Amino acid sequence: MKRQPLFRVVKREGGSPARQALAYAAAVALALLAGALLLLAQGVDPVDFYGRMITLGIPGSRYPWRTVENFVKLFVPLLIVSLALSLAFKMRFWNIGGEGQFIMGALCASAAGLKLGESLPRPLTVLVMALCGLAGGGLYGLLAAALKVKWGTNETLFTLMLNYIALYFLQFFAETKGEWNFFLDPESARPRFLKFPEGAQMITLPLGPFQLNLSLIAALALCAAIFIYLKRSKGGYEIAVVGDSPSTARYAGMKVERIIMRTIFLSAALVGLAGAFYVSSAGILSASVTNDVGWTGIVVAWLAKLNTVGIAVTALLITVLQFGCQNASTTYAAIDANFASLIQGIILFAVLAADFFTRFRLAPRSAAVKEVS
Amino acid sequence: MNNPIQVLTLFLFNIVLVNLPLLYGTAGEIITEKSGSLNLGVEGTMAVGAIFGYLAGCAADSLAAGLLASFLAAGLCGLLFALLTVSLQANQNVTGLTITTFGLGLYFFVGKGMGENWPAMTASASLARGFAPVELPLLSKIPVLGKALFSQNPLVYLGILIAAAMWWYLSFTKTGLRLRAVGENPAAADSVGVNILLYKYVHLVLGSGIMGLGGFYMALYMSGSFEGSNCWINGYGWIAIALVIFAGWSPLLAILGTLVFGFFNTLQIYAGPLAGAFPGTLGWLNAVPAHLLKALPFLITAIVLVVSSIRQKQGAGQPAALGLNYFREER
Repeated sequence: MKRQPLFRVVKREGGSPARQALAYAAAVALALLAGALLLLAQGVDPVDFYGRMITLGIPGSRYPWRTVENFVKLFVPLLIVSLALSLAFKMRFWNIGGEGQFIMGALCASAAGLKLGESLPRPLTVLVMALCGLAGGGLYGLLAAALKVKWGTNETLFTLMLNYIALYFLQFFAETKGEWNFFLDPESARPRFLKFPEGAQMITLPLGPFQLNLSLIAALALCAAIFIYLKRSKGGYEIAVVGDSPSTARYAGMKVERIIMRTIFLSAALVGLAGAFYVSSAGILSASVTNDVGWTGIVVAWLAKLNTVGIAVTALLITVLQFGCQNASTTYAAIDANFASLIQGIILFAVLAADFFTRFRLAPRSAAVKEVS
Repeated sequence: MNNPIQVLTLFLFNIVLVNLPLLYGTAGEIITEKSGSLNLGVEGTMAVGAIFGYLAGCAADSLAAGLLASFLAAGLCGLLFALLTVSLQANQNVTGLTITTFGLGLYFFVGKGMGENWPAMTASASLARGFAPVELPLLSKIPVLGKALFSQNPLVYLGILIAAAMWWYLSFTKTGLRLRAVGENPAAADSVGVNILLYKYVHLVLGSGIMGLGGFYMALYMSGSFEGSNCWINGYGWIAIALVIFAGWSPLLAILGTLVFGFFNTLQIYAGPLAGAFPGTLGWLNAVPAHLLKALPFLITAIVLVVSSIRQKQGAGQPAALGLNYFREER
């Protein structure tokens, strides 16, 4: 007779938030510990490194406010992209095209900013740029949704391809000199992006020495809006039902195709908006405009279990990790900013593993037999 | 460089030399996907294989040691993927992307950490010798094509051999056919007594290991010069995922697909020389933007995806259960 394994895997009924929080804390602690061992192996003092990471290099800095402003410029895109992607993921639509949608949003917004920045008043230009970002990202994402709905085209692979098409499209503008190419600086002999005119740069509100980036307020408002949309509105409810089971949704009389198209457009448009905010805050387009935010956003959304508040917290922590690592690594020759990727990877592995024990439990084989009888 | 035949020969030679690592990545991903798993970690897996393969190859001063180390290091990435997605039921897309993030992070961590101790490829005679072209008897004497196809380095031949062997394995052996059943319908395969767990683990490790060999190839092709800003793999892992679709999940077509993608990839570099060598027929090449050629493989793959979904063939070879975790209790 075949030997039976001692345990079998059983799904847990209902999650316990306390158990989950504990599992996540353990996963992060484990990852930081593993990181500390790696740092020690390179002869780096982990306490000092982590200290510099968490404080973002603010203590002892001559321009502490500048550091916070730069931090915000990284945090806002990640927060918006993660929120946006969570809408798609809730519907089990694997939009991994965040990179491409971000680029398209940034590109459209830059075009608007460069063309209108001189002539329109600043608030209006920034608004038009945001709308262009929404449209650019949204339409690019809608393509994948339409194909999925019409013919069942695999959205994971299709959006992946669109990422690279968008990237080379952007690089084309970045590296091709020509009369027609208004993205580039005409003064420079080598191809170089043109700085936005004053009127196309993100509005900041002075708070003492600190310049509060308006996009931060917009992002936090968006966070609240999405929370309400998902919890309280008909549209949010439809997303949840379609994500759970498209056939149930259809049976309940919902127009599943329209819901998918609408939600993916919204998701991709918000990613594009993040692109618009980013270029407007930076004041210039760049060939590496995304900072991998389309990828990191997936990680953040997943780590936070697609929970809106969780996403805000996770996005903040991941930005601390990335920004902090970049900062701390300037002190040590043997470490560079990529150390953040390594830690991020280990954290996610640990969380994915810990997830198993919050979703499933191991039941002894003998008990399982009793349950059946 | 002005002799047209010379330019053409060099162009064809480079199509094979520069792009063959794609075949390793593609073959590895094909066998992974045939087991029903979509592993988006090709880029990271190749990076891990590349750096550990190269360091081990230099330390032991042996090509075989490098190959073995790259296979094992990348295989460990596959094992991690299998552990998380097969045993612990984690989402495959997220796990794959994390393998890429982690792998690239590890690549730079190890490379940077070596600092001054970074070994130069010139110091390892047998690595350099192992990567030197080997002319196959008779075949290499064919004009133009002989140089391009039959006087390449041994890793080119190994890659083609692996792809051919994989085709044979998937088409004609009992285990290969069972593997395909696992990817199509794991519940059915399980009910006739196929050990799903074992099949998935073995082929995920094997697939990642093969990707790692491609990474090792890249390391040698880049002469082992480590840069802090750019990874050797340079996006090849992502192109490999596209190639799997383009090749319709067939290892044999993957060889052809590698050459087609390679053609566009190399054309962007050789557009100028080719236009110069054949001004009458190829002069227009100068007007084609290099970025269009770079984007073309992805554009073609996107179109292939759409067309195959319209024809309801699910990409002909796409495993039906691709990307879905198998949970036995929910059969």
